[in-house]
Amino acid sequence: MPSLNRLRRCLIAIVATTLILGACSFARADEEPLFFRGLNLSGPEVVIDGNIWEGSDSKSYICKDNPFENQKVPLVPPTDSERAKMIRSSRYGGNRVELNNLPLGPYTVFLYVWEDNNAENFAVSVNGTKVLDHNSGAAGHWDKLGPWPVTVKKDGKIVLTSKGGAANFSGIEVWRGNYDGLGKPISEEELAFFEKRIRPLLANRCYECHSAEATEVEGDLLVDSRATLQRGGANGPAVLPGDAKRSLLIEAVRYENDDMQMPPDEKLSDEEIADLVRWVEIGAPDPRSTATKHLGKRIDIDTARQFWSLKPIANPAVPDVKHTDWPRSYIDRFVLAKMEEHDFTPATDADKRVLIRRATYDLTGLPPSPQEVEAFLADDSEEAFANVVERLLDSPRYGERWGRHWLDVVRYADTAGDNSDFPIPQIYLYRDWVINAFNRDLPYDEFVRDQLAGDLRGGDTEEQRVERLIATGYLANSRRFGSRVDDYPQHLTIEDTIDNLGRSFLGMTVSCARCHDHKFDPITNRDYYGLYGIFHSTRYPWPGIELDQKQRDFVPLVSPDKVAESEQASIARGKEQKKLDDQVKKLKDLLAKASKEDKPDAEQKLKQAEQLAKQHRELPPLFETVYAVSEAQTQEDVAIQMKGDPARPGDIVPRRFLTVLGGQELPSNAQVSGREQLADWILADDNPLTSRVMANRIWQYHFGRGIAPTPNDFGKQGKPPTHPELLDYVATQFVSGGWSIKAMHRLIMLSRTYQQSSVRDAEAVLQDPTNEWLSGYPRRRLDAEAIRDTLLMHGNNLDLSVSGEHPFPPQHSWKFTQHNPFKANYDTNHRSVYMMTQRIQRHPFLAIFDGADPSTSTATRMSTTTPLQALYLLNDPFVHEQSIRLAERIVTQASDDESRVNFAYQLLFARAPTPEEMRATTEFLTSVRELLRANGVDPAHIDTGAWQSSVRSLFRLNEFVYLD
Amino acid sequence: MTRNALDRGFGRREVLRSMLAGSLLMPGLLSELLASEVAKSDDPLAPKPGHFPAKAKRVIFVFSNGGASHMDTFDYKPELFKADGKMMGTGGGLSNQQRKLLKPLWDFKPGGECGTLVSDLFPHLREKMDDICLIKSLNGNDNEHYNATLGMHTGSFFFSRPSIGSWVSYGLGTENQNLPSFIALAPQMPYAGTQIFNNDFLPAYHQGVRVLGGKEPIADLNRRTTERGLQELELGFADVLNNRHLHERANDSELSARIRSFETAFHMQTDAPEAFDVGKEDDETLAKYGLKRGESEGFGWQCLVARRLAERGVRFIELVDGSSSHNWDQHGNMAEHADHAKVIDQPLAGLLQDLKDRGMLDETLVVWTTEFGRTPGVDGEKGRGHHSACFSSWMAGGGVKGGISYGSTDEIGATVAEDGVHVHDFHATILHLLGIDHTRLTYRNAGRDYRLTDVHGKVVKDILV
Repeated sequence: MPSLNRLRRCLIAIVATTLILGACSFARADEEPLFFRGLNLSGPEVVIDGNIWEGSDSKSYICKDNPFENQKVPLVPPTDSERAKMIRSSRYGGNRVELNNLPLGPYTVFLYVWEDNNAENFAVSVNGTKVLDHNSGAAGHWDKLGPWPVTVKKDGKIVLTSKGGAANFSGIEVWRGNYDGLGKPISEEELAFFEKRIRPLLANRCYECHSAEATEVEGDLLVDSRATLQRGGANGPAVLPGDAKRSLLIEAVRYENDDMQMPPDEKLSDEEIADLVRWVEIGAPDPRSTATKHLGKRIDIDTARQFWSLKPIANPAVPDVKHTDWPRSYIDRFVLAKMEEHDFTPATDADKRVLIRRATYDLTGLPPSPQEVEAFLADDSEEAFANVVERLLDSPRYGERWGRHWLDVVRYADTAGDNSDFPIPQIYLYRDWVINAFNRDLPYDEFVRDQLAGDLRGGDTEEQRVERLIATGYLANSRRFGSRVDDYPQHLTIEDTIDNLGRSFLGMTVSCARCHDHKFDPITNRDYYGLYGIFHSTRYPWPGIELDQKQRDFVPLVSPDKVAESEQASIARGKEQKKLDDQVKKLKDLLAKASKEDKPDAEQKLKQAEQLAKQHRELPPLFETVYAVSEAQTQEDVAIQMKGDPARPGDIVPRRFLTVLGGQELPSNAQVSGREQLADWILADDNPLTSRVMANRIWQYHFGRGIAPTPNDFGKQGKPPTHPELLDYVATQFVSGGWSIKAMHRLIMLSRTYQQSSVRDAEAVLQDPTNEWLSGYPRRRLDAEAIRDTLLMHGNNLDLSVSGEHPFPPQHSWKFTQHNPFKANYDTNHRSVYMMTQRIQRHPFLAIFDGADPSTSTATRMSTTTPLQALYLLNDPFVHEQSIRLAERIVTQASDDESRVNFAYQLLFARAPTPEEMRATTEFLTSVRELLRANGVDPAHIDTGAWQSSVRSLFRLNEFVYLD
Repeated sequence: MTRNALDRGFGRREVLRSMLAGSLLMPGLLSELLASEVAKSDDPLAPKPGHFPAKAKRVIFVFSNGGASHMDTFDYKPELFKADGKMMGTGGGLSNQQRKLLKPLWDFKPGGECGTLVSDLFPHLREKMDDICLIKSLNGNDNEHYNATLGMHTGSFFFSRPSIGSWVSYGLGTENQNLPSFIALAPQMPYAGTQIFNNDFLPAYHQGVRVLGGKEPIADLNRRTTERGLQELELGFADVLNNRHLHERANDSELSARIRSFETAFHMQTDAPEAFDVGKEDDETLAKYGLKRGESEGFGWQCLVARRLAERGVRFIELVDGSSSHNWDQHGNMAEHADHAKVIDQPLAGLLQDLKDRGMLDETLVVWTTEFGRTPGVDGEKGRGHHSACFSSWMAGGGVKGGISYGSTDEIGATVAEDGVHVHDFHATILHLLGIDHTRLTYRNAGRDYRLTDVHGKVVKDILV
């Protein structure tokens, strides 16, 4: 084409001139870089950024990789047509490009890569030194990688190679000298135009949201430097020099795109727009050569700490109240003061029967026995209720109940959550550790330390060392994803850790800052990666995944010496197994060739050999392992992942704590992960969140609602506390009581507030329907576990023995895939806390009754009322089975209906029936007997039949599943 | 068309009467029962208006597991026929290695008056193309079954989130209080398991109820008390005691809602099996779906039941075709696509026809989709790999234009050529047809207002009527 030829001739002339000028300036000073060579690795000569690039027929390089082209793929971001042509023709397979015949000296290299279909991860090296780990992105995505400074030595070569996934090398751009990759010299005229017309415009109308000085950057775009403008933001390059039509900046100021009209408040004048267009058309000459950088949200700590949850914990004065005779404790005075402020009066004290049922469910998740109720009623002493509380706190059932609450928060599951949902047979040890920690009242600060850094703490005894190791199952329990190994998304597993850690210990949604600064709370993107480095420096056990099914990196329970010893044994075992397997193979061959007479004998031998091989394969492991974490091989700070994308590294940030909570840092080059320090920071005296958050949780599990109603979110999106002073009071008591959780139960349960009746007067219900001011105890439904455990208990088949491991299939038989994932329901009569819980398949019973979500932290159980729950109680075989068992108990207990009704009521409701209830129940029994008789039921079964029917009805009552 | 409980005049009194019908048992209790009245509370599943008037009242969402090939079904690629065996462009399998291109095994012919080309895999559906809006430029983020399936149902490719059916239930409630608002007819488990019809952080009212078919389509639906009248008696007794309990507690609305839930469950026992029982359908109707009298399973049964549920006012009905282990995932031999197409072709065509004949198609949005398409290049011997960069799906009825194709792919079906529709856009469009602005249907969870479409999604306006 003549026009192209003409253009080329012009360009050659220009380049020639520049070469001379450039050479001069190069000679003058190192700082003026010079375009040296462009190379389109697959395809013809092209013109890019005004420079001529050699085509693939050039003699100045060696590359044996396969050429490949697909010009149909739309590029992301879009670019000019010549460059696009160059990008979409590339080379793959091997990926080695050698540029030769280069004069000695400093150079800067850029590499164009792109992706034609599926993302690949690969590392790029220049002259043998790795310069980058790259993810090529989705189909159509391209990158200009670099700048990489390189010094060419005597051999006159620059060699670019890649390793890992298949890379598409499109082109190489080489500059002499150190070059930031941003442009060419500007003429004086251009400079004047820029300074007069463009810079003021950008500064006045754009910088507020798009500069390093902006409080918050919109769309990730900075327009205050050449580099950032041309690199662009979330939507791609803002300016394509020379191409106004396709420059997003122009599109935006022209208001062409409904979704992107800039400036948003008022359109620029036609003249201003024309200036911008002209500027882009002449190549967007821009003297602002130093790339700017937005350091993210700046947190004004003083302002941030004005927010209720971040304020230092006050030790508030206990308020005065009008009804001075009502309060029994400081808690009562805080609560009553609020009631009086809102014109409420406390409800009456709860009946003793109601109280013991409430307390027993609260602390153990089970109903009181009739004997326990009787004993409490008979105890007239002042300490009667305190004694009940002590008895319950001493019961092993307590840990099963309160451990379950914590397991909700840490989204405990017995499987990994990857696409095949691999079982983790060892994680039950963590579950049991949690239950035990509650039972032995492990102080909460120790509880936190053990879970975050137990492996680093050692122990006074071997038992303690092991326990602490197991406690880090908290971290190991983080979710796994996907099916693949080589590009396993570890950043998502770490996100799951940080997300849970933030919510559980701090009541903060820290993971919201993974892609950008937190939208609402004072948590920055840098804060997130400060924490990320700590878990990047931590080794997580590998539970198995579709393409790598074997457990590894689990922590041995024995000493390192023993592990070394077992290594020998392990090798020996491997050899032995091979021998046995070979023998089986040999015998199989023999059998195939055996004559008729020899066959039975050969079969016999084969069978024996197979048996031996199987037995050997199934030998127990040489030592026990736990699902726990340890320090990674290297401990290091990590780079920010721009937009949460690990393939887009930003600044490296030191490992540290959240800025707003103090921002404590690890010493640079610390050869530790930082988990111990993290525990210290979380537990620091001046961290106002940790104690508030846990004290609030404890309160919530007693009252069904926290003082702050969103226990996992103490941020701006959460709900503030109804009684802020009370929250600070209990938090203070928590810490001063040595972080004892059992002390908190005593504090709360012995208050008069806790011991109120749940029946509020009608006016109070009307004025305060959600009972914010606690003018009565909040009635609530039993949760899924309490319902199931109660049914088992009444059927006399609740198994309270040690539960232990789940009956998972043996590891050597695992072949789980996303097509056939692990899926099981194991029947058990143990308490519900011991049911096997899968991360991604909800247990049907737990799903129906609002059980915890095993894939993310559950701070509060919902309490929905659905027909499916009713259907369960109407027709589920388990409910019917338990009814049969309880009916059996009742009819053997006494022979007359009245005594039986009495017994049933004592058992189920901790009270005697009223005369009307007695009448209704006996009338019902008579009716059922009549019906059964009329239906021809065997007379011998009528009595128990009627009672089964009665029990089923009672199981469905609101009184059965609600706690007053 | 809907026959919901209110239409039939099912108030509490009727419920109680029916429980005790024909029985003179418990005379003392009966009067007490009828005398008591329960305070109504806000029902989270009561029908709610959307953000703007809706074209579609409900959705039948059909999901074919495994990744149905686009170039072998709805996306005619003449160049690919010609290029069989050649090396060009993007490859096959899960990598970007170059693979030989594989030509489709089926011929394409025009269907309907619109003349949209459809392969011989779908001879019945081809006849319905005038009612179908084909989307040839759908695309997603992930080439793994599990993740792509999760994404297609929840908008999230990695994390558990509420299913689209749960979102719709949350946004619009449902028209029949005696049936769940969201029913998934999933005889076998799809990829990602129960997550695809899970309510996740939305309240459990919006949980998808899985129906397996067979004798007890919903768990615990069948009465376990075999004695006639016994369950009624039990419920009546419980009701008396519950009402006393309630009155002593200032008619607590939560308690009264729970009392009502038993009435609903009681009715579900009869209403739901009736909805799943296709025995009363006439021969002509059964024939549309390719069903033989007496059949109560298979995809034809699923489709017919979908229509019956739609008639009864169920808001979101999902039909799962295949399972995670038996499906359209033909890595080794594309010829097997024929078996899978045969299973769904006639029933889906029958469903569209039946809905149309009954005047229901206009207000029922039928969606067919899969987790991704397949590669133009060969995988294994004669198969194709996973391909999320572009694939085909379709919608019909409920406010979408019939007889059109939207979007296109390149010559060999490797990439979107124009008018790409991302999964988020697909979701935004479905919600739009239901009268929901996808940016405004939010739920606050753990400090964030979540959406089905996350921070993405654009309504594909060109396909709306």
